[in-house]
Amino acid sequence: MKKLVEISLGVVTSVGGFLEIGSIATAAQGGAAFGFQLIWAIVLGTVCIIFIVEMAGRFSAVSHHTISDAIRERFGFNFFLWPLLATLLVNSLVLAAEIGGASVALEFATGASFRWWALPVAFAIWLLLWKGTFGVIEKGVSMLGLVTLCFVVAAFELRPDWTAVAAGALPSLPQHDAGSYWFTAVSILGASISPYLFLFYSAGAIEDKWDSSYLGANRAIAGLGMSFGGTISVAVLIVAALVLPPQGIHQIDDYHQLPLLLTSVFGWWGFVLFTASLFIACFGASLEIGLQQAYLVAQGFGWNWGEDLKPSDNPGFSAVYSLAIFASAILMVLGLDPLKLTNFSMALTAASLPLTIVPMLFLMNDERYVKDRRNGWIGNAAVIFVIALGFVLAVVSIPLEIFGQS
Amino acid sequence: MHLVRDVLDKQIVDRNKTKIGKVDGLVAEMRDGQPPRVLFIEIGSIALARRLGPRLQRWASRLAERLGGRKHREAHHIPWQEVRDIGVDIDIDIDVRDTAIFDWQDWLRDHIIRRIPGGA
Repeated sequence: MKKLVEISLGVVTSVGGFLEIGSIATAAQGGAAFGFQLIWAIVLGTVCIIFIVEMAGRFSAVSHHTISDAIRERFGFNFFLWPLLATLLVNSLVLAAEIGGASVALEFATGASFRWWALPVAFAIWLLLWKGTFGVIEKGVSMLGLVTLCFVVAAFELRPDWTAVAAGALPSLPQHDAGSYWFTAVSILGASISPYLFLFYSAGAIEDKWDSSYLGANRAIAGLGMSFGGTISVAVLIVAALVLPPQGIHQIDDYHQLPLLLTSVFGWWGFVLFTASLFIACFGASLEIGLQQAYLVAQGFGWNWGEDLKPSDNPGFSAVYSLAIFASAILMVLGLDPLKLTNFSMALTAASLPLTIVPMLFLMNDERYVKDRRNGWIGNAAVIFVIALGFVLAVVSIPLEIFGQS
Repeated sequence: MHLVRDVLDKQIVDRNKTKIGKVDGLVAEMRDGQPPRVLFIEIGSIALARRLGPRLQRWASRLAERLGGRKHREAHHIPWQEVRDIGVDIDIDIDVRDTAIFDWQDWLRDHIIRRIPGGA
């Protein structure tokens, strides 16, 4: 019974944690520009993140190591430096985009520009990490994330042609704007397979003191949580595909266009729901990424870490998340466009994935860590395939996107 | 036991279960006619910098001396005799408060963290 409660809580947490500015913006763009055609990218990304999150939880439950900690231990400091620096950089950009997303939601609510909101939002995030415990952050805040289910309701209200939706789940070649099609596909993959998601999950397994008895729960949480999360992303894409093109929007180049997703379905309440969803989703993701930056550094260098400890018991750890949050907020204060930053950082995420995933696959096949719970060949093959695909697409399409537009 | 595989880069935990750092370096002594013997574990940025290159080590050493005084000019040493167990972590029979390893964290705590409400 206790496990069942934990599984449901875990699933709710993953659903709440899945949707953030990256998945909302990339799915909306995919839908506006290419109809249902890019649903396959969300499906592929979701299947891949299910495998990876399950592995991360299994690894930590069996070995009592976090992934970041074990990469340093297994491959040595000189190798660890590369995934460390890449992930810190990508996470800072994604964190800035999330702070931007929450600030944009406040701009919708108040009319005052997001640039004014970046620092207050950063302060609120920092205060929760400073005063809160892991339980409050993991369960409380992500529980609120269930408000994003309104996208699923909206998708059903719009009565899409379900055969066309199913056809979109199969990959197909673009009929127009090939460069933008592949770039959007990469951004969607990057938004689904975020390093902070599985690194955070692995640290969470240690914070929640998981052992081998949690392997079943871990499988259920990874499978159900990520599938529900992916479903919400697909719903965003469906809504965008049905609502935006009739209003003449085939490309989202301004975040002010985003609330149209729900206002067209729910009217004024749609505006309220969209604003709330955007704020909660981005705020929750910011908490996780801010913490993840500190986990990564503290675990890599072997300092004391743990969100349940008081800041004075792990000064290095608290200093890292404080700096990380305010450094990322500064990017927004400077006036970087949150939407452009989101697209760029999601594609960059896809490009940086091999640096963390490849060592992780080695760890998942190393008996000294996972004993007899090693990966099967299906898991290994699925993850290698999607990561390689994401990497190749990113390397090809990021330059296309940057130079193609200017 | 393999020193590089099973010891280097592992987490070190002190007598009070405080995580004090990773095994950033290992120092062994060569003896005439006898096998080499491990003397101590090194902790700290200077040991890490040396692994990246000798020039970086000199920079790290100079920086650490300027910030923390003479005793921070070299990496921190933990005598190999203090190692009690090598499992998920390496347990050592030392209290980190008796060493200079956490000087920078103590400084951070006393000068910044404690002065922010809710930090203590």
